Amino acid sequence: MDREHIRNFSIIAHIDHGKSTLADRLLELTDTVAKRDMQDQILDSLELERERGITIKLNVVQLKYKAKNGEDYIFHLIDTPGHVDFTYEVSRSLAACDGAILVVDASQGIEAQTLANTYLALDNDLEIMPVINKIDLPSADIGRTKNEIEEIIGLDCSDAPCISAKTGQNVEDVLEGIVKYLPAPKGDVNKPLKALVFDSYYDSYRGVVVFICIKDGDVKVGDKIRFMQADTEYEVTELGVKTPYEVKKDRLSAGEVGYLCASIKSIQDIHIGDTITSAKDPCEQALPGYRKMNPMVYCGMYPTDNNKYNDLRDALEKLSLNDSSLTFEAESSKALGFGFRLGFLGLLHMEVVQERLEREYNLNLIATAPSVIYKVTLTDGSVIYIDNPSMMPEATLVESIEEPYVKASIMVPNEYIGPIMQLSQDKRGIYKDMVYIDDNRNQLIYEMPLSEIIFEYFDKLKSVSRGYASLDYEIIGYRPGNLVKMDILINGEIVDALSIIVHRDFAYKRGQAITVKLKELLPKQQFEIPIQAAIGNKVIARTNIKSLRKDVLAKCYGGDISRKKKLLEKQKEGKKRMKAIGSVEIPQEAFMAVLSLDDE
Amino acid sequence: MNEVKHLYVHVPFCRSICYYCDFCHRIYDHELAQKWLERFKKEIENSLVPGYETIYIGGGTPTALEYDELKTLLDYLKPYSQQAFEYTIEANPESLDEDKIILMKEYGINRISLGVQSTDTGILRSINRKHDFALIKEKIALLRKHGLDNISVDLMYSLPNQTLETLQKTLDDILSLDVPHISIYSLTIEENSVFGRKGISALDEEIEADMYELIEKCLTQNGYRHYEISNFCKEDCYSRHNMSYWNYEDFIGVSLAASSKIGSRRYTNTRSFERYFSSDDIHEEDIVLNKKEQMFEHIMMSLRTDLGLDIDGFERRYECKIEEEYPQGTGNPHIVIENGRMYCKDLAILNTVLLDFME
Repeated sequence: MDREHIRNFSIIAHIDHGKSTLADRLLELTDTVAKRDMQDQILDSLELERERGITIKLNVVQLKYKAKNGEDYIFHLIDTPGHVDFTYEVSRSLAACDGAILVVDASQGIEAQTLANTYLALDNDLEIMPVINKIDLPSADIGRTKNEIEEIIGLDCSDAPCISAKTGQNVEDVLEGIVKYLPAPKGDVNKPLKALVFDSYYDSYRGVVVFICIKDGDVKVGDKIRFMQADTEYEVTELGVKTPYEVKKDRLSAGEVGYLCASIKSIQDIHIGDTITSAKDPCEQALPGYRKMNPMVYCGMYPTDNNKYNDLRDALEKLSLNDSSLTFEAESSKALGFGFRLGFLGLLHMEVVQERLEREYNLNLIATAPSVIYKVTLTDGSVIYIDNPSMMPEATLVESIEEPYVKASIMVPNEYIGPIMQLSQDKRGIYKDMVYIDDNRNQLIYEMPLSEIIFEYFDKLKSVSRGYASLDYEIIGYRPGNLVKMDILINGEIVDALSIIVHRDFAYKRGQAITVKLKELLPKQQFEIPIQAAIGNKVIARTNIKSLRKDVLAKCYGGDISRKKKLLEKQKEGKKRMKAIGSVEIPQEAFMAVLSLDDE
Repeated sequence: MNEVKHLYVHVPFCRSICYYCDFCHRIYDHELAQKWLERFKKEIENSLVPGYETIYIGGGTPTALEYDELKTLLDYLKPYSQQAFEYTIEANPESLDEDKIILMKEYGINRISLGVQSTDTGILRSINRKHDFALIKEKIALLRKHGLDNISVDLMYSLPNQTLETLQKTLDDILSLDVPHISIYSLTIEENSVFGRKGISALDEEIEADMYELIEKCLTQNGYRHYEISNFCKEDCYSRHNMSYWNYEDFIGVSLAASSKIGSRRYTNTRSFERYFSSDDIHEEDIVLNKKEQMFEHIMMSLRTDLGLDIDGFERRYECKIEEEYPQGTGNPHIVIENGRMYCKDLAILNTVLLDFME
């Protein structure tokens, strides 16, 4: 197929605006997937993605379309994740495209991530076609939505398809729009091979499967290729496209998007964003590639059963084969034994990883509260980075602590501006700007510590705005803060896994809230047990777990022995799922208690 | 010679169903009772030998049987009851009458366990019991008139709508009866009971603990010995039969749902009338306990009483040193070892303490 009849594009949208549903309709209308094989959100291949209705990993699929002009086209739809955690993955997929479909929910209008994703697409020089979705909803306001897009983003909406991806109404217009408004890939098939690596996954039979977008030249099975950044060479063993099933090809040429295998043993050998060229006839300059996104959120994960440490390591190794943004290294905790410190792109990423580890690898895990990475300058002038609060050096050795800040952009209906400003202020946000969007909505810009966003900012944002506010944020660097390490002591012993870094002004309140929460969560013990929060040697809050008063089966005669023993065995099992700190058993939820403090 | 010294007999009938109960029983039916007696006769001829030292007829409600049926039952058991120095029968105040009392006396029954539960009429109705305190007094007088004064009263606490005040009143009423033995059980919501099916929830743990403390204080101050978690007695009027369970002795149980433990073997009869009537194999469960299991069960049962576990007997029986075998258990601060016995200081939290004796 010549380049003129190829279109490479992504669909971008705020979460829940109908991106995956539109993708499903496009697959159906182009007969890419037979009706009988159709399942909702077909591109979301992880079980978890479909269950949660979110896209995590990107995926690519080839569609064949006969346009009204009578000509045949090949579309490559490159799916993008819709959640703020995965901005990095979005930019990866956009780099492989020439155009993007911007889906906006006609009942909601533009949201924070609509903007964020649009800017990413503009950064990548993509042509953008707006699509107004959900016109079947009674609350849909097509005129207002078009206005917003034109005024805020500056995209012409006069020809924008107005569709319902759910009912299929006008979806045909989107296919025609792709042909008409989105550009064919540039590039020259006669130039030396230049291909962008935009994703990869590990397959135990073929090694690493690399997703590529051919910018110039072509590649054939048997060719010797070179990864320019990694500076490695391989021989191509397999090429193909996804339809969404894999279809093998002998050759991929400029404009095409597909996969490549070359007996590559480890995912670590592949850099996403790398450029593939021909070993014999290399191109002069590599593609710009992209900066690797560093994890921003860290937490410890420990098997509840210490004997499962090796199983957890194996699982993490396997999982990280297909998730290059997940980092892990061994750590140990006095309270929890041996485990790992994991780095994530954000909280959703963390939740997803924990759930996959528990579900797909059958592990029982204790996750500690997430932490950001602190930049600590010591009194001797040296600088260290701390991603585990319990590792924070003694206060006397610390000159200053800096923490990551984000620029948060919040789209909010007028009536909730007050509560959102209050909330942002409570979370140490610094007001920067308020941008008028339309009569009813504004965009608030705050700078605030990432750690505050992690501490339930998002949930609170949703609750104070009844779900109408939307959030996007980007990291803007490190800033000093008046931060201290707060320890939690149970029965007089510091539980290292419960230590957190807090702003000094909030320490007292947080310490109280945490000790009260722990009192609720910890099972009653055989003796009264104190729970304390302390900064250094100074205790700033205290509660007591009352001692257990009654736990015995009233009746136990001859016929009850079996049953009674089973009850005890169950109780014992439950106890095994907890971590014993000294004589106190601490259930899994307690380690997250430092996070969710609804009574603030 | 009979090596098993304790016999339990289950009578699987009731006249009405108490809301807290999930025991094996049916509403009394004359035909069914006849059929049961017939099958029961066959079962005991095959499984019992004379010479039991204690016999306990429980249920269900043994007195739910008609006079003639009760007589037949006691006749069947007669060959096995000759050496029984404690012969107990459970009785419901409504279905206990003078004729049945005379009958019991005739057959050597010397201990009565009376299902009282509460003396508060409102609470009694709320658990579907139909008697009142006046009837209790009347029946106890009747028992005493015929020389049956080894009476145990069954009570319950932590019942829906029960308060510390109504519980205290019940205790005062019971104390006025001056019976030698009281069993008092906290309500457990069983899944298959009426309460369980209705989704009634138990009282708050703290209130239950307060009630337990109240009971213990009140009864011990009035001369009762708290000899087992839920049992109180005057002087040495403890239940010999039940004590055999807590001493982890062998016992045999007959009729539906009854369990037996003989040596390392434990088996339990079916709860199904159909199977009981139609099959020769009526064991629903029949397992052999290994040494570890027996040791744990022995501790689990023994620690329920104020006498605790006889360490020497235990160590000889299982050829072990208890402190080496259970370092965590014997090290539990609620466990006391003195004068060759091991006790749990705080019986109210025995479950939690027992966990330290488990693997």
